[in-house]
Amino acid sequence: MKLWFSLLMGLKEIGAHKFRSMLTMLGIILGVASLLACFALSEGMARGLRESMTQFGGIERVDILSQDPPEEQIGFADISPGSTVADAEIIQRRASLVTCVSPESNLKNAALTRGAQTFRATVDGCWPDFVAIKKHEIAAGRGITQLDLDEARHVCLIGQSVAKNLWPGNKPETAVGQSMLINGRPFTVVGVYAFYERSSDKTRREQGLERPSAGRKDGLPGGRKSSNPYKGWDMFSIKNLAVQIPITTMFYDFKSANVINNVDTGPNYKLDKLTFQISDVSRFQEAIEQTRGLLENTHRGIEDFTYYTREDSIESMEHSIKSIRVILGLIAGICLVVGGIGIANIMLASITERIREIGVRRAIGAKARDIFFQVIVESSVIGVCGGLLGLAAAFGLLGVIAKLTESEYTPVVALSGVLISFGFAVVIGVISGFYPALKASRLDPIEALRYG
Amino acid sequence: MPLIELTEVAKRYRVGEQEIAALDGVNLSIEAGEYAAIIGPSGSGKSTLMHLLGCLDTPTSGRMMIDGVDASRASGNQLSELRNRKIGFVFQSFNLLPKFNVLQNVELPMIYAGLRAAERRQRALAAIERVGLSNRVKNTPLQLSGGQMQRVAIARALVNDPRIIFADEPTGNLDSTTGESILALFHELNVQGRTIVLVTHDKDIAARTPRRIEMRDGKIVAGNL
Ligand SMILES: Nc1ncnc2c1ncn2[C@@H]1O[C@H](COP(=O)(O)OP(=O)(O)O)[C@@H](O)[C@H]1O
Ligand SMILES: [Mg+2]
Repeated sequence: MKLWFSLLMGLKEIGAHKFRSMLTMLGIILGVASLLACFALSEGMARGLRESMTQFGGIERVDILSQDPPEEQIGFADISPGSTVADAEIIQRRASLVTCVSPESNLKNAALTRGAQTFRATVDGCWPDFVAIKKHEIAAGRGITQLDLDEARHVCLIGQSVAKNLWPGNKPETAVGQSMLINGRPFTVVGVYAFYERSSDKTRREQGLERPSAGRKDGLPGGRKSSNPYKGWDMFSIKNLAVQIPITTMFYDFKSANVINNVDTGPNYKLDKLTFQISDVSRFQEAIEQTRGLLENTHRGIEDFTYYTREDSIESMEHSIKSIRVILGLIAGICLVVGGIGIANIMLASITERIREIGVRRAIGAKARDIFFQVIVESSVIGVCGGLLGLAAAFGLLGVIAKLTESEYTPVVALSGVLISFGFAVVIGVISGFYPALKASRLDPIEALRYG
Repeated sequence: MPLIELTEVAKRYRVGEQEIAALDGVNLSIEAGEYAAIIGPSGSGKSTLMHLLGCLDTPTSGRMMIDGVDASRASGNQLSELRNRKIGFVFQSFNLLPKFNVLQNVELPMIYAGLRAAERRQRALAAIERVGLSNRVKNTPLQLSGGQMQRVAIARALVNDPRIIFADEPTGNLDSTTGESILALFHELNVQGRTIVLVTHDKDIAARTPRRIEMRDGKIVAGNL
């Protein structure tokens, strides 16, 4: 009951000094607003980054690339056949910790033609598992099958941007069943992938807020702003430009001859890359070692291959997310602490103003702790009000930030961020009232009554 | 046993190197239902004694019993409770809270006593009626005359139904007619059974109280039974 009364007193005191209380609160309001905005921005960024990372195949995806053998092996490095389809086959057959595997042979800058439309992109020769490893989603048609592979059929799977460029004006899904040319050879489109985009872009598009940009309209990477054409060049755009054919077809049609200086040096059945997916991320190292053992066999002990994992990049990404959080949080936290100092200052002024009142209260029976409590409640009320207003202000602040920066990432206001920012404001309110409250409660009643 | 009993009470202040004895070996006992006036020249220690009696301060040495409680050894919280429940204090300068209206001022002691809102209101209105200010319940102190403010202060002192009322020069800031009506109020309260101790400069007032306690240089020089 006394608590309720103290609360009313606090509100009354604040109401009696509206302007002063508002100025005091402003520190807390700005502090909370910036804290919540920081949380929302970093959360948005973290989600965006993680989303891209997942598009890339996540941590479970591992690539094996060719490299020059170490110095001590150079003399007899020729005994290794290099990376071949045999590597993929042995991993598929023997590596129990690997779920999907696909070899990859690329044809860079291939000319894709349909009628008068020509367009250049990289074509990947691969196995059926490629779709799963790269986290592709087939929107229409089917994927590459084992039969396509065995018979080296002229079939291809294409991304939406490719479809849009070759069949302009048509829905990308209608490309299924149509034929197109890859470096002059006819292929049938058997499947079209889903359209990949950031979830933030997706919501924006669904709300009809898409910013006009030439690059996006035809699905080409090219950024939203003409001033920065590479801004849109991300994992999503790259995946929308995918063209995949069976690796056998790749070898027969495009790798049988390797003409260097007008001399055919023979077929090149070497892989550009070998990609696989680990079944259990917690046994990541084990899976790497397992495959390494198998490949040492096929490469006859020559270390002319290397692993490329996302572990490091994910770690460094998480690390930068954390540092950004800490830095932003620290700055906003300092804002809040400064706000708290403002409250403490005002409370000190306020009790000095009310020394006589405190004396009167003591004289009619208020205990020291009643006075202490009254001051604490008052400063807490400022903290709570400032906190609530600050939460509201945060949304305004985020709006301003969005206008000023055109950030890639939509801020995400999470409940935890709201609770932490608000809680911090309340705690600051309580703490900053502590010293003034102590001072007020320790006043000698007689001295206080004689004051002023 | 007397309601109030002081034995060899001293209050000393240290001012720089010097020690001032505001009270020096005071022995005093007051029975329940008494009406006493403390008189004496300025600086003789009247206010200091009243503050001790009113449990606003503690003696430097000596023993002070109030209604069976040893106030000279009580803790801060116990003193607060004594002030709240057993003692009503009326000041020369009224000491009302200017931001609160009459009703709220009178309710204040009951808030610290922990009474519920309905009872607070009812008792406050009764006390305000007792001092004849029922038509000024919603006014703030600044809208009242000096006499009215002192009446509000008396209502506030009465509202927790204390056994004793102390008043330090309650008429000091009032003109003589208004002072008379305040004294009449104290007289009535005494007739109804409350113990009243007041400090006054006015010989006429002192002449009318049943008991006069005279002080000089921190000592009681006359009026002690
Ligand atoms: N807080 C204090 N510090 C120092 N001296 C004080 C204090 N309070 C009172 N005194 C001294 O004690 C003496 C008695 O004062 P007081 O009780 O106020 O006298 P009265 O009320 O009779 O005029 C005076 O000499 C006064 O200066
Ligand atoms: Mg005095």
